[in-house]
Amino acid sequence: MHTVKLWASTTALCLGLVGAAFAPAALAQKKVVNVYNWSDYIDPKVLEAFTKETGVKVNYDVYDSQEVLEAKLTAGKSGYDVVGPTAQPFLARQVAAGLYQPLDKSKLKNLGNLDPEILKAMEKADPNNAHAIPWMWGTNGIGYNVGKVKTIAADAPVYSMKMILDPDTVAKFKACGVMVLDAPTDVFPTVLQYLGLPPDSKSLADLDKATDALLKVRPFIRKFHSSEYINGLANGDICVAFGYSGDIIQASTRAAESKRGVTVNYSIPSEGAQLWVDTLAIPKSAPNPDLAHAILDHLMKPSVVAASSDLTGYANGNKASTTLVSDAVRTNPGIYPPAEVRARLFTITPADKEFERARTRAWTRVKTGR
Amino acid sequence: MPNPSSATASPRSLGGVSGQRVQPWRDPSAKPMIQIQEVRKTFGDFVAVDGVSVDIFPGELFALLGGSGCGKTTLLRMLAGFETPTEGRILIDGQDMATVPPYARPVNMMFQSYALFPHMSVEQNVGFGLRMDGVSKAEIATRVAEQLDLVQMGSFAKRRPHQLSGGQRQRVALARSLIKRPKVLLLDEPLGALDKKLREQTQLELLNIQSKVGITFVIVTHDQEEAMTLADRISVMDRGRIQQLGTPAEIYEFPQNRFVANFIGSVNLFEATLAVDEPDRAELDCPDFGGRIHVGHGVTGTVGMVFSVAVRPEKIRMSRKPLADLPNQMQGIIKQIVYLGDISIYFIAVGGGKQVRVTQPNLDRWAEGEFTWEDRVHIGWAADGGVVLAQ
Amino acid sequence: MTPPGFLRRFMGRPTVIAIPYGWLGLFFLVPFLIVLTISLSTADTSLTPPFTPLIDWVDHKALQVVLNLGNYMFLFSDDLYVVAYLNSLKTAAISTFFCLLIGYPMAYAMARADKGIRPILLMMVILPFWTSFLIRIYAWMGILNNNGLLNNLLLWLGVISEPLPLMNTPTAVYIGIVYTYLPFMILPLYSTLEKMDLSLLEAAADLGCRPLRAFWLITLPLSLPGMIAGSMLVFIPVVGEFVVPELLGGPETLMIGNVLWAEFFSNRDWPLASAVAVAMLLLLVAPIMLLQRSQGGSPHARGGH
Repeated sequence: MHTVKLWASTTALCLGLVGAAFAPAALAQKKVVNVYNWSDYIDPKVLEAFTKETGVKVNYDVYDSQEVLEAKLTAGKSGYDVVGPTAQPFLARQVAAGLYQPLDKSKLKNLGNLDPEILKAMEKADPNNAHAIPWMWGTNGIGYNVGKVKTIAADAPVYSMKMILDPDTVAKFKACGVMVLDAPTDVFPTVLQYLGLPPDSKSLADLDKATDALLKVRPFIRKFHSSEYINGLANGDICVAFGYSGDIIQASTRAAESKRGVTVNYSIPSEGAQLWVDTLAIPKSAPNPDLAHAILDHLMKPSVVAASSDLTGYANGNKASTTLVSDAVRTNPGIYPPAEVRARLFTITPADKEFERARTRAWTRVKTGR
Repeated sequence: MPNPSSATASPRSLGGVSGQRVQPWRDPSAKPMIQIQEVRKTFGDFVAVDGVSVDIFPGELFALLGGSGCGKTTLLRMLAGFETPTEGRILIDGQDMATVPPYARPVNMMFQSYALFPHMSVEQNVGFGLRMDGVSKAEIATRVAEQLDLVQMGSFAKRRPHQLSGGQRQRVALARSLIKRPKVLLLDEPLGALDKKLREQTQLELLNIQSKVGITFVIVTHDQEEAMTLADRISVMDRGRIQQLGTPAEIYEFPQNRFVANFIGSVNLFEATLAVDEPDRAELDCPDFGGRIHVGHGVTGTVGMVFSVAVRPEKIRMSRKPLADLPNQMQGIIKQIVYLGDISIYFIAVGGGKQVRVTQPNLDRWAEGEFTWEDRVHIGWAADGGVVLAQ
Repeated sequence: MTPPGFLRRFMGRPTVIAIPYGWLGLFFLVPFLIVLTISLSTADTSLTPPFTPLIDWVDHKALQVVLNLGNYMFLFSDDLYVVAYLNSLKTAAISTFFCLLIGYPMAYAMARADKGIRPILLMMVILPFWTSFLIRIYAWMGILNNNGLLNNLLLWLGVISEPLPLMNTPTAVYIGIVYTYLPFMILPLYSTLEKMDLSLLEAAADLGCRPLRAFWLITLPLSLPGMIAGSMLVFIPVVGEFVVPELLGGPETLMIGNVLWAEFFSNRDWPLASAVAVAMLLLLVAPIMLLQRSQGGSPHARGGH
């Protein structure tokens, strides 16, 4: 659930750079484990239970973007014991940069509960699953306002990326509002897949083709932003969004709750969708690695993970918990897709510095139209 | 109360330092420049001006004198148009000013703070009024130069106000308010910000300029000396009312009440009961004085009424010997001496504990030895030395 | 001379002067020098922090200083940065103009209001600061959305038949910026207008000047220092503004603050981000100098009265 506590935490980052040096020593005394993750991503009751069991207080700090987490880690001692990087590209490049300590698997007796399929997807980022365990996972797909889309185009291809990438289709929804994630690593692979190119392509020529495809539809896109579409969809301010499954499902829940006649659906594009996994890992500079392992083990208990899935509306990477997840979440094909859809999900691998720069630059071109 | 006829008949009718001047207010056919008729001004509950009526004549130099809050400035601002009378009328040159905004009135004002425009040069400041009237640039330049010469500021034309001294600013402000040749010039404490020497010098210059341009001047001041020096007539104001209106000499010599007597110069006041009242003289019993006070004018009142007798310190003579030729005399002891150079002030304790203030010119260079502390002296004054005031 | 007197004489003044300079040095100069140093290094994401140190010991013998000017060259090699800078300047200039246009009448009305209610009016200008800036911008999102307050009101009134696209447009950015920075324009303007000697206007009227003309000839020129101070207080921070365009802007809103964010967070290129920041600072030195001159050079400052 990528809810935004926006720039307040950017400021916190700046202060953090100064304050981090002082924090760990003070905290270690009181048996506190410091967790840094998306907001509302772990059920607070689960953390309370951990404190009751072990006497260790959990300090749950939140960030608004993976970039902020990364900036804190790369700046040096962050003071956090457990952080939640997304597997691609963040965990991958952070593992490569040596920002995490290898997990001591002897301390993690619940490892067997994890979903082998998800672990396999994570291996591209973290070889041998040495540094991280999966938490929630999801897909990138299409969220849409059912009523408005039907009124504008009854035959709209809501299960296809044509909703975003076909100029004739997306043009119809311009006035009503279209938003797209502001994250090159989450958009380009899906565009490449749509164009019939390898989604994990590191070729600049392919990148250019994807850029051109996006530039063609750019005039119809109101904004590139990684969280605003949640409110936009829920309030009926926009009609179509390309975003994270969990966020769109959250928008759908909110729309239903507000009873303003807005219905939001999430669809996984039939062309194939990018699978992402949010993970939990222990920074190399963690002040309390033992406590960190203890809480990771706690967070692999099936009941604990199921409770968080119910809270967030995301599928989790803990196979043993699936039966404990509530029906509403477990049977939602947007959350736990059926096997044939799961077969079309893909993941990507990290890129080198040159390609990364080219990709970011291409993304700026897409956003600004120059 | 002094008999009005004796006041108007006073032979010492002096018009400030400029000597004998015309006295249009004595001429029933003279047409006034400013007519203030029953003007009242209130701010909320506060009555600033309370029913003032006065006529001011062309070419007159008229002073509104009073302490702070007496209403003099409010009256001036009503003439300029910055305040509107709550009641009453103001006419300037026969025209009712009720609906005339400040920028259309035939008056100009010199402000207490001078109110020079800080972002304009001296010549721009002085020429501002002409510029507003759409006068041509060439003519403005000539007239500004003339005007600056009149106030001897010709060489400062390009300066900014903040580069001038207080006295120089005052001249610029005067030039600026005179350049349009208004029918009336209003001056709000024009010399207040200047030091004493400069003030005296400027007073004379102001008189010179006034006699050259012949404009009606209305001056607001709290400084009695300034009013006495400059004005043809003074209106002493207190609590929104005119307490007395007259020439400087009338006001000084024949104050109509205790306020005026106290406000203008210094005065000894004796409380006394009217004993004898005849048309040209009166006698009053005064316990402080220890006897009867003889006054050279009649009193409007009945025997037994209590009055104040005002005697100016310089009207009292002082001697070691009895002053047999004076109708009013008494004995006392010198308690305090203040040496002021030209005169000395003596405070003399008389019977009943009262201290009488007496001034004596220091005629001899080294007169100090003549009287000293604790000397027993005789003091006295002539019958026309005192004025009877209503309580 | 007694010791305390000696101390007062030789320590007092320098200490008093040293405090503000020390403050500036510690919290402005030192951070700036750190940023400047980073801007001259080379990005390397395998390091923590992700750039090469400027000063290095070669073989533990020779001290080597490597200055990389490439980041600055890069700013000119790609027109993205120049365009973003120009866009920021344009946005700042237009926003400042509108702040002045809206703020001047407000400051004027406040300064000429009854003395008793002036503190209340002043309070009302400052009051929005008590709410988080972020929340206020989110409130604007609620107003400007397709389904927001403004569009719904206009639809209800029948002025429009379809929602106006307000949100995520340059207009929305200008509304947000002008709204946010208006107090910074009003406060200095208010303080100059309030200090103004009203007898100057009376003097002007007395000399035959009508009220409107007196405003142009007297009030406006005398409030110039306040206008300049307010404009700088708006212009300078708006050039680096990031939050408002991020939240209210659309894809075509490109400002240098957002480019800086992208370089720092998305590209993890701290040196280039630092170069962008240093260039932005240099860009702002000119208006800051102008501000200093306007404040040091007014006749009031030199004791006009």
